[in-house]
Amino acid sequence: MKIHEKILTHYLSCTSPIDKEGYLYKKKERTSSYQRRWFVLKANLLFYQERPADRHLLGVIVLEGCAVQRCESEGGLFAFSMVFRGSGLKTYGLAAEDQLGQESWVKALLTASHCYLSLLVRDLGKQYEEAKRQAGPAESHPRTTVTGPGSMCLTQSMTYLNSCSSSFLMPGPERREGGSHSASNLLQAPPIPSKVINKRSPKHWPKRNAHVTPINGPAPPYGEWPQVEFDPLEDFTKLHDYYGEEVKQLRADWLKRRQEEEEHLEEDLIDLSEH
Amino acid sequence: SEWDHYIIITDVHNSKLVKRRLVKLVVNFLFYFRTDEEEPQGALLLEQCRVEREDSLAFSITFLDEAERKYLFECDSQEQCQEWIDSIIKASYEFMRKNLIFYRTEIHRLTGKDPLEQYGIEDETRFQVTSGLQLMPKDI
Repeated sequence: MKIHEKILTHYLSCTSPIDKEGYLYKKKERTSSYQRRWFVLKANLLFYQERPADRHLLGVIVLEGCAVQRCESEGGLFAFSMVFRGSGLKTYGLAAEDQLGQESWVKALLTASHCYLSLLVRDLGKQYEEAKRQAGPAESHPRTTVTGPGSMCLTQSMTYLNSCSSSFLMPGPERREGGSHSASNLLQAPPIPSKVINKRSPKHWPKRNAHVTPINGPAPPYGEWPQVEFDPLEDFTKLHDYYGEEVKQLRADWLKRRQEEEEHLEEDLIDLSEH
Repeated sequence: SEWDHYIIITDVHNSKLVKRRLVKLVVNFLFYFRTDEEEPQGALLLEQCRVEREDSLAFSITFLDEAERKYLFECDSQEQCQEWIDSIIKASYEFMRKNLIFYRTEIHRLTGKDPLEQYGIEDETRFQVTSGLQLMPKDI
């Protein structure tokens, strides 16, 4: 599959905000050794290259449907991984030089996905409507639901994107990855019928971005995204709680380890005094 | 499914390249397929591009890199054309970010509260009010 690289590199270098950048160690696929790379996080895309000033991009990872997890420290580095579930998808092993770096990268990656932002915007849109209603004379805006044309399984699309975007080093014919998938895997259940769209002047903010498939259930499934109606407010809170838990767990683990280290120090003192 | 449209894509730079492709929108990428194939032929990132109505059945996407590459998309109906334009614009991450910043600012102005505090993400770089630039309305 051809991924139009120029569009990606242009987006990387353009003036839109960079969400996070810095050196990280990236695990090589076959040897499991780490290589130092310069990473730039922008929107739902994680770019990496050898050095900050490099024009040549080594790769891009599209951050949809991945689980970001802290890992056991390896060789003095603070490791974490990005696990993409689904056939043809892989796990990326990364590591930071210190705990703070590890924590801040994990948190930044957890909130990076397009789906996350979409839910957040939807949620805030509702709060905004509510705030306006309470603040001033009632100005009702009919809800508009726009179903995006052409749905496609998220996992499947990540397979194609991430498998070819990490091969910038190898020009030439694109590698075809993944086994055979029936066409029906790419299509989802029939979409929600669209309602009439109000004509708006360009300066009005649109109300919804509803083409993203809603999620269902207490924990966000990282693989399939079932097409089921849901209450955005409730599910976004759950989604956020889930991510919040991850960060809380990180902090708790770190605190616990610090305490253990301190206790261990005290124990040593006691041991010494006994001899 | 009713939403599997085939759209005729013209690479304006090279008008000999007119292809009829199956087009699918996933997050901020536009995938296009040759008919009946499982693997997409290509993917376009929908950031830093301009979407414009060309005529009653067609729209265009211009990517704002040095090449300013323009692609024409011809649909089967006016409604389909408008749906695609709206969806592509709304699919842009930067577009959503601007919306978020707008809502955050407005909710704070109307209620005195920062709506991101309830999620503990008020300090995340990506949601800061200074992010997001002023672009022309039709630029994404």
